[in-house]
Amino acid sequence: MAKPALTSEMKKGSAELLILAILEDGQRHGYEVARQIEHRSRGAISFHVASLYPMLYRLEAKGLIEGRWVEKAGQRRRRYYRLTSEGAEVLAAQRSLWQEFFVGINRVARLRTT
Amino acid sequence: MNAPRHEAPNWRALVQARLSLASIERITDDAAHDEDIVEELAQHLAQRFEDHVARGIPRPQALDLALAELAEPATLARALRDSARPRRIAPVPPIVGGKPSMWNDFVQDLRYGARVLMRSRGFATAAVLTLAIGIGATTAIFSVVNAVLLQPAPFREMDRLTMVWETDRNTGTNREPASLPDIIDFKERSRQFTALAAFAAAERTITTPGGEPTRVPILFSSHELIPLLGITPSRGRSFTSAEDAVGGPRVALISDRLWDRQFQRTPDIVGKTIRLNDVETTIIGVVPAAADFGTMQILRAAAYGRGFADRDLRSRVDIWLPIQGDPRVLVRDTHPLLVLGRLAPGATVATAQEELTKITADLEAAYPSNVARGAFIEPLSDVIFSRVRGTLWVLLAAVGFVLLIACVNVANLLLARGTARLREVAVRTAMGAPLRRLVRQFAAENLVLTAAATVLGVAIALVALRGLVSLAPADIPRITDIRIDGLVLAVAIGLAVTTGLAFGIVPAIQARRVDLQGALKADDSRGATAGRERSLLRSTLVVSEIALAVVLMVGAGLLVKSAWRLSQVDTGYRSDGVVKAEFQLPASRYPAVGAQWPNFVEMHRFNDELLTRVAGIPGVSASAIVGNHPVDPGSQNSWRVVGREAEGQNWPEVSIRRVSVGYFETVELPVRSGRAFRDGDGSADQPVSIINETIARRFFEGREPVGQQIRLWGAARTIVGVVKDERINGLAREAPPAIYLPFRQAPSFNGAEALLVRASGGVSALGASLRAAVRQIDPQLAVFGVQPLSATVGASVAQQRFVTLLLLAFAGVALILAAIGIHGVLSYTVVQRRHELGIRVALGATPERVTSLVLGQGARLTAAGLVIGVLAALALTRVLATQLYGVSTTDVTAFAAALPVLAAVALLATWLPARRAVRLDPLEAMRD
Repeated sequence: MAKPALTSEMKKGSAELLILAILEDGQRHGYEVARQIEHRSRGAISFHVASLYPMLYRLEAKGLIEGRWVEKAGQRRRRYYRLTSEGAEVLAAQRSLWQEFFVGINRVARLRTT
Repeated sequence: MNAPRHEAPNWRALVQARLSLASIERITDDAAHDEDIVEELAQHLAQRFEDHVARGIPRPQALDLALAELAEPATLARALRDSARPRRIAPVPPIVGGKPSMWNDFVQDLRYGARVLMRSRGFATAAVLTLAIGIGATTAIFSVVNAVLLQPAPFREMDRLTMVWETDRNTGTNREPASLPDIIDFKERSRQFTALAAFAAAERTITTPGGEPTRVPILFSSHELIPLLGITPSRGRSFTSAEDAVGGPRVALISDRLWDRQFQRTPDIVGKTIRLNDVETTIIGVVPAAADFGTMQILRAAAYGRGFADRDLRSRVDIWLPIQGDPRVLVRDTHPLLVLGRLAPGATVATAQEELTKITADLEAAYPSNVARGAFIEPLSDVIFSRVRGTLWVLLAAVGFVLLIACVNVANLLLARGTARLREVAVRTAMGAPLRRLVRQFAAENLVLTAAATVLGVAIALVALRGLVSLAPADIPRITDIRIDGLVLAVAIGLAVTTGLAFGIVPAIQARRVDLQGALKADDSRGATAGRERSLLRSTLVVSEIALAVVLMVGAGLLVKSAWRLSQVDTGYRSDGVVKAEFQLPASRYPAVGAQWPNFVEMHRFNDELLTRVAGIPGVSASAIVGNHPVDPGSQNSWRVVGREAEGQNWPEVSIRRVSVGYFETVELPVRSGRAFRDGDGSADQPVSIINETIARRFFEGREPVGQQIRLWGAARTIVGVVKDERINGLAREAPPAIYLPFRQAPSFNGAEALLVRASGGVSALGASLRAAVRQIDPQLAVFGVQPLSATVGASVAQQRFVTLLLLAFAGVALILAAIGIHGVLSYTVVQRRHELGIRVALGATPERVTSLVLGQGARLTAAGLVIGVLAALALTRVLATQLYGVSTTDVTAFAAALPVLAAVALLATWLPARRAVRLDPLEAMRD
């Protein structure tokens, strides 16, 4: 790994935002969620089974996402997750919160974005 | 590793193995759910493994990499357990939503809501009290409306029942009783009614061996009455036509009440006897308590012949006797009977009116005594409810205003509080609480609030009702039946839920508009945007509150002025210091034989003796015996002036007042000219009369009445005096033309008399002395209606007084609530603006400047409210028109009185927060 991994604390804090953001585009199963996060962060952020699924279950229990088993012809049944309307609202709120946070951090620490 | 490399590993088994390494037998309580979780994790690992292999990673390493994702067994176990039991570890407040148990969530919400409210007791108390007052007052008034107007009538097809009144064009009265011969003609000729029934109110004394004689209201009724109403006797039967014929047997129907009171509901009541005015009477049946429904209102509506209705408005009919009317005795020019009809199928009030108009016109042509007499058909429900319907709806509307103001206040409180709680909302939203969840939890809080308010409100309603019923004018139909029943409770709860839901919207609006960043900044009060919008909403609420209060206060002002006008009315007589007592001399011991009239020896002897004994009671300065006391309109009769007979053809009937010597002194009615009655005006002496000023003015214009003669009741009676007018038809009505006759020259046939005594000293002691005086002469005589004459007068304006008192109370509550509203909003504004105000003070703003800033805001709100309120009042007070005496609905003084009071209270409510603003420590304020 070329880039240093984010600490687990930072990952925990942002996991909800990331998962909700991934599901914003449509329903995905757990592995796809993990792949998308790795892909979009260009490998900077990755989730393991032990961290991803508990988070998915928690979000589902909060009513922000909804998981259901889908059986497609000729395939094994898989569990797909999609964003609920509450999830969409919370995502919007989280986005602006993080935006604010990020701008603040940037002003202080003068980060450079690529 | 010797496992075949090309074979896919059993991922499920691997995951299971890891879990059991962590000694996890179960992840959740549900085995099927556990299976799903294992399956899902296994699929993930399988796909990861395939991806690694596809990228060229050797299978053994790929397997290790994939399995590494399961982390340390202990970590995995903890993570899965936590996520699988989210609700058990959910933090308070419960912001986590979900499907499995809405009910548990709800209970938790309620508990949390109660805890939140307990933490802010001041807010909760204010809100609960305000709402409870609104709900309580509304519930109380609604239960009156419900019992009086909404309950079904106890009669069959009440909308087919009408009163058949006679009218008199000469007097302009249109609700007169009819003569028996007229009724017989109506029955014979009318086709628009399936039946006509006659009745008349009277009273009887029940004597029981060894018991106190008691006085009961009775109804003489024709045999048609009970079947016509659709009432079935619960025991026995109603009258037959034979029992109703002249010379019929002494029979009676009794009320369920009397059956209970006097006979302890004995099952063999039919056939038992009861002594009425010393006459043994056989009971043939028992009728339900509701059989007298509307009787009081019919009697009160009648121009005369109102019987017990003028004496005690709470009277209920306990005995029905057949009329057994003899047309030779009850002749055409005496009008004692009220007539009720049931419209025939296809008939309407209009067709019945048309028919009766024709019949009465024929009768007018046929009989001189029917000159100027017509008929007036009026639906029974109008007669019963018209007086009270408008009043009750006005009161309900007024109390609805109070509830509205209460709601506005609570909404305001919630808004202010909601602002203070913005941070909480923001934090929880950021933590992921969905809006639905937040709203639900606020709703739960409101539910706790409204539930408490409802319980307290219903308690208030119960207490208020007791007061209402005792205060209410007794001629409100079914007033004694008022209770809080299921419908009333449902309405109360409905009100509470509606108001609760209305408030539920308030935090919802706020939650939706929450600006997270702003709210999360340290300064919650100033940082929140949408604050301007909220303060506009709050201001609007205060303005509407003031406007509502203005309407109520103007209404109350109009009624108070009307009541004041009524109290200032010159009644002619003076009731203060006069005590009244009534009795009826039974014909068995005080014979009233027509041939001997007016010299009823026993009656006159009793009266003389009573007056002598009363004069001996210490403190008594004057006393008299009368046929009708000054608040009792009594009866009317036609009359002529001797020598001007032709001219008098079209004169209206006059009220006849039978009074003993001493009457004018007792009620201090001034004699304008001539003299009062004296002892020399006896039965055998020259018949005399005294007229009132109205007669003198209307019929003796430019002539001297004293010395002229009036022909009345078969004698020419010389006018010996003129007295001031007495308002005998009620305070609000002008005095009618009236003729006074000396009691000895015109005793009553039915023996009904009232004793009036002017005395110094206590009423209760005097009442006892009067009873004792009567008992010494005739121990079997029932004395009733003992009360100060002023109380009798007061009862005659009970309805106006009732409405006035209630509206005053409502206006007072409205005023207080509006003041609380203004105070709350401005206090909040001062807190909100303390930073700015602190800077102003630091920059040298004078206390006056700061005060005027705050006062200015209050004044603007108040002024807006006043203007809107005045406009609304102008539109709405019109409904009070029928309640007012001598005051127009746009009376300037009522408006002029309400506005300064409200303005003053508003100013006070504004001044308190303004003072707080002035006392701000600028340093502290700016640091905040």
